[in-house]
Amino acid sequence: MTNPVVLARQTLAGLSNGMLLFLISAGLTLIFGVLRVLNFAHGALFMIGAFLAWTIGTWAGGSSIGFFASLLVAVLVLAIVGGVIEVTLLRRIYRAPHEFQLLLTFALVFITGDVVKLIWGREDKSTPMPELLAGATEAMGLVFPTYRLFLIAAGLVVAGLLWWLLHRTRWGILIRAATNDRDMLGALGTDTRRLFTTVFSLGVALAGLGGALAAPIVSVGPGLHVQVIIDAFVVVVIGGMGSVLGALVASLLVGIVNAWGVLLLPGWSVVLTFACMAVVLIVRPWGLFGSQE
Amino acid sequence: MNAQRVGLIGLIAVLALLPLALSDFWTFIAIEILAFALYAISFNLLMGYGGMLSFGHAAFFGVGAYAGGLLAKSAGVGSMWGFALVMPMAMAVAALFAAAIGFFSVRRSGIYFAMLTFAFQMLLYTVALKAIGLTGGDDGLTGLRPPGALAAPGPYYYFALAWVLPAIYVIHRLVRSPFGLTLRAMRNNPLRVEYSGVDVRNHQLITFVIAGAFAGLAGALFAFSSGNVFPGWLNWTASATPIVMAVLGGVQSFLGPALGAAVYVILEVTISGSTEYWHLFMGLVILLLVLMMPRGLAGLIDRKRP
Repeated sequence: MTNPVVLARQTLAGLSNGMLLFLISAGLTLIFGVLRVLNFAHGALFMIGAFLAWTIGTWAGGSSIGFFASLLVAVLVLAIVGGVIEVTLLRRIYRAPHEFQLLLTFALVFITGDVVKLIWGREDKSTPMPELLAGATEAMGLVFPTYRLFLIAAGLVVAGLLWWLLHRTRWGILIRAATNDRDMLGALGTDTRRLFTTVFSLGVALAGLGGALAAPIVSVGPGLHVQVIIDAFVVVVIGGMGSVLGALVASLLVGIVNAWGVLLLPGWSVVLTFACMAVVLIVRPWGLFGSQE
Repeated sequence: MNAQRVGLIGLIAVLALLPLALSDFWTFIAIEILAFALYAISFNLLMGYGGMLSFGHAAFFGVGAYAGGLLAKSAGVGSMWGFALVMPMAMAVAALFAAAIGFFSVRRSGIYFAMLTFAFQMLLYTVALKAIGLTGGDDGLTGLRPPGALAAPGPYYYFALAWVLPAIYVIHRLVRSPFGLTLRAMRNNPLRVEYSGVDVRNHQLITFVIAGAFAGLAGALFAFSSGNVFPGWLNWTASATPIVMAVLGGVQSFLGPALGAAVYVILEVTISGSTEYWHLFMGLVILLLVLMMPRGLAGLIDRKRP
């Protein structure tokens, strides 16, 4: 087997990538749970978050304040973009067949892809690492990149906040109720229109946050969204649609399998992720934490 | 003889005479339309008739194209008959892949099915990119040419037509057969069909394999017209193409997706020639289509039907 130091580093890299994946798939799964729409544009919106972080990060010259400001801007801008998409487009097609919803979000992928090229160009860009998180940290006798540790912490904080939101606020109770039975929720007098708008906005804002957090460790280019959305789909299939806990567990699993796969099967690690998905589908077709329809 | 039959014979006559009226370039485009018409109809067998929204149908178009290209290259096909054999073999390979992917995918329905087919197609896309020894990686397969006289656009058009028309006819017979009726019943109420003793999953799997095989034929036919096969043919944008074509043409009419394919290909040729932001334009077209024209072009032509 490989050197334990390499293995530990890969595990950490896998966990941190898994946390990024969690931010995207949590939004995807929340949106699906409440709106019953599979948002193919989620990866493209993630990409906008990354480009915003690049613009602000480069402008601020890698200062830590600039970095945290870029996270805030990405979340706010994407929350607004999400709200606008829901109100102007998605709202019209909830009753339409699945293929219309799929085509609509797919059209958004096409449009976003070209708009990003118009604004930011076609070249891949690298975002400066914020000073505060640029170095390495020693832990358990090993040296890890600080930013990776920060990503894991950030993911855990977001997971905690989401748990609090879903289980301790009225809004969260409505979200969970809508995931179970949105018709009943509407019949009981809840304004589901507003709930749909806010949930879509929240989900897209999470994707934006993920994009902004990913910016310093990926090359930010117009092709960024493709691998992201595929991984996020695999995650929600494994974790179960609509389950945030499932998204967390499956994201970390996919992140680690990908990272170890690089050592085991260089160049072919993606096959391992799909193998995981295939196994889950055979054993529990509704996903690890999903409910059986 | 009813009006529909007259229209059909007229359409076949026009298709048979078309290359005489077209330049080589537009004959080439006409071949593309034939291949994509078959692709879109094979897709609509899944979506329109079976209620199975596949977002990975490009997998089989691409597998058929690669299989056809690799078979012809490795066997060094020189004769017309040898070349004609490549097509059913490409179909068989696509059918095998469809059987494997379908085995997993039909375990879920609705949007989950779409995600699964999508994920498997992206797996094949990755394989096409990375298995450089077999597929040529990013560069794809190049220099594919049909043998002898077929290499010219005119004769190849007739070769393609001779495959596409019977294939569409077979799909048409299939959707009118008891199998096709069961398929539509499953689309509307799978539980009820299940309770009347039909193995729904098995039915869906068979449909998936048939649709995959015909998509493979379309891919192989198109491969020898374009002369190349690229990994992009297996990419997700390629899987949206038949959905757009089917919705554009109208999913409720059997030939609607073929009409959608013709309009789509002609749009692509004319627009992508004039702007590099073809995706932006196409995205806006799809938005308009989805929001304004739920029944597609066939719905505009034939307003009486429900």
